[in-house]
Amino acid sequence: MYFTNISLGQYVPTGSFIHRLDPRAKLFSLLFIISAVFPAENFIKLSFWTALLFLLVWVSKISWRIILMTARPIFFLIIFTFVFNLFADSLLRALLTSLRLLVLMLFAVILPLTTAPLELADGLDSLLRPLGKIGFPAHESAMMIGMALRFIPLLMQETDKIIRAQLSRGARLDQGNIFKRVRAFFPVLIPLFIIIFRRADEIALAMEARGYEGGSGRTRRRPLIWKVKDTIVVTVCALVSILLILL
Amino acid sequence: MIEACSLSFSYNHHSISNNEDFTGRALKDVSFFVNEGERIAILGHNGSGKSTLVKILGGLQEASEGKCLINGIDINEMDFRELRTTIGMVFQDPENQIVAAMVEDDAAFAPENQGLPSDEIQARVDEALKQVNLLHKQGASVSALSGGEKQRLALAGALTARVKCLILDEATAMLDPVGRVHVENVMKELHKSGMTIIQVTHQIEAENFDDIQRVIVLSHGEIIWQGVTRDFWEKSEALGFDLPDEFKIKQLFAARDINFPESFRDCRINFREESDTYDPAKSAKFAIQDLSFKYEDSTTQTLDKVNANIPAGRWLSIIGRTGSGKSTLVQHLNALYKIQDGRILFDDKALPQKGEEVHELRRKVGLVFQHPEDQLFSFTVRDELAFAPKNAGFTKHELDEAVLYGLECVSLDESFLDRNPIALSGGERRLIAIASVLAAKPECIVLDEPLAGLDAHYQHQILNMLKKLRDNGRTVITITHDLSMALNYSDRILIMGDGKAIQEGSPHEVIASIMHNLEPGAWPDVLRFSAKIHEINKDFPLLYNYEDFISCISQI
Repeated sequence: MYFTNISLGQYVPTGSFIHRLDPRAKLFSLLFIISAVFPAENFIKLSFWTALLFLLVWVSKISWRIILMTARPIFFLIIFTFVFNLFADSLLRALLTSLRLLVLMLFAVILPLTTAPLELADGLDSLLRPLGKIGFPAHESAMMIGMALRFIPLLMQETDKIIRAQLSRGARLDQGNIFKRVRAFFPVLIPLFIIIFRRADEIALAMEARGYEGGSGRTRRRPLIWKVKDTIVVTVCALVSILLILL
Repeated sequence: MIEACSLSFSYNHHSISNNEDFTGRALKDVSFFVNEGERIAILGHNGSGKSTLVKILGGLQEASEGKCLINGIDINEMDFRELRTTIGMVFQDPENQIVAAMVEDDAAFAPENQGLPSDEIQARVDEALKQVNLLHKQGASVSALSGGEKQRLALAGALTARVKCLILDEATAMLDPVGRVHVENVMKELHKSGMTIIQVTHQIEAENFDDIQRVIVLSHGEIIWQGVTRDFWEKSEALGFDLPDEFKIKQLFAARDINFPESFRDCRINFREESDTYDPAKSAKFAIQDLSFKYEDSTTQTLDKVNANIPAGRWLSIIGRTGSGKSTLVQHLNALYKIQDGRILFDDKALPQKGEEVHELRRKVGLVFQHPEDQLFSFTVRDELAFAPKNAGFTKHELDEAVLYGLECVSLDESFLDRNPIALSGGERRLIAIASVLAAKPECIVLDEPLAGLDAHYQHQILNMLKKLRDNGRTVITITHDLSMALNYSDRILIMGDGKAIQEGSPHEVIASIMHNLEPGAWPDVLRFSAKIHEINKDFPLLYNYEDFISCISQI
């Protein structure tokens, strides 16, 4: 792949305990964990979170290979953080900051890997619904995120194919200064936009043909049901997070 | 059940009306009816207006004039939910119809929109997946499905709404032969169980037409013929549609009172195959040796020690099932994929892998991807054609000449130069995309499924163009699922399977291997017939060419 990995952020169905949790429970837990990992200021706390991450990955039955590959685009950011802190501060600080960022990102990556796009959209939909009362397009936003997650891998494949085609025609996509490079990408961007608009058009038609007319009156094959295990997971995550922030 | 009364549609009120692609979507006074439980075909070339008709019949677009009645009710006044539970649609590109990432979630979309209770939704999903033979994939993710399976899922997505009528818009056009056969089998079953089916297509295929009762032919937005399928056959050539070989052969058997295959049991046929004494190892453009390749996120070898010679100055077709490694192999030839293991010799020298030499290689080896018209980006045809030669460092003078050369290769005249590629018809865009690669005067040109989705006129034009390039000494490589084209047009054939090169040889040499490695659904019609005869009479040759077959038949 010239562009990036196509399996990025794609749902991996393993049917694990994590997969079967309510998407809202996963969203809440992730929120708690992130707000606790952010202020983690020493290695003891970070090693605890790292241990929890390993536990989570083990329970989710998703291979580390997939997780690391999905997270690959952010490694650049982590290396940058490390180098920046190394010069601005100390080695210790650099290690701490970059490790913290890494753990944070890896937690975040697990969500889309264990939650099907439409399920995630359903979860967001139900969480955002109160905002609908003040005119926020809750269902539409959630549906958009769900559809984006479904089509991102496809558009990446498409981008990859266009890049290959233009390289075959002798395009020099990786030479010259920044302006030259941006200009050199027009032959990739223009066809990509045309394809995106055409797809969007066709998808809209296909959705209408299947009777989609927005969120009202829609039911679900598997309605979101908040179970006891969801409450337990969220409570545990909340307690652990608060405890570690306060310690 | 459906009645179209003088449907018209025009884009006249749009400023884009002088755009050929849009005028190609107009309709003029189209009237017909479809009875309940009937299966009909609407036949038309690209730009005949059939896509517009599909949208109007499906209630996705309003006609400018005329009415479309569903069970006597005007489609535009029908209750949305009732309309969507009466008419289901399946479009050409399966990817654009699937909204969920999981098979079951997607099949559930329609009944979810209807607001049905969960257990009813699940029951319908199970039933529909069973109808399209996908029940074993219910827990799978969509990305793990083949093209044919995705299209069957799209069918299931319509069936879960319990529709009475299915409209299919070129639903099998993007599928490989195996996927096509599977979808077709599902359609037959559905029709048997009472479903009304309207199939819109640009190509007649024998297996599709067995089951179809009536045909409507659309041309330039008007119905030029309609009637029962039996009468259609006599008219089809006059209407501009090639008959499938299978049909012609069956007709011939009937006319000459031949009992197939029994009548051939003891016949002796004089047929001399031309022998190809050509040795590809002596004049290879590319010599591929033990080439292996594995994608980063894959666990299996996509190419597994491929050994093959690609003959210089000949036309080679690479055939094999989807996923056999054909595309990956050819993308090595211009260094889009770097060699992981093994080696490739290009004109007896190691194939360059980096630096300026790769650019030079890409000028010499032109690669045309599948649906290359999707990669056009310029505002004029002239700029599009100049892109590759410019990148290759042609001078101003050479550039003008190269643009004209590209245009000449695809037999388009200079009036195209200042037009916008987006405003051209699909077939013309394909030609421009091919010309944009040829303009840099490559020694070798590789095309991935060059004929896919085109109608007969453009298909013949591209085949003639490739023949001419080959006659002028170019090395031509095509990847195709169309075995009839591969066997009848190319000089040599390379069969791939499971990442390996199975055999390279002349069409005659590889025929046995094709029969062994590819399913009969993918064979040319002629080969299916001659293979049946060959089974009971070993003297009868295995043929793939229609004329040869006819000359053999006429001997008994």
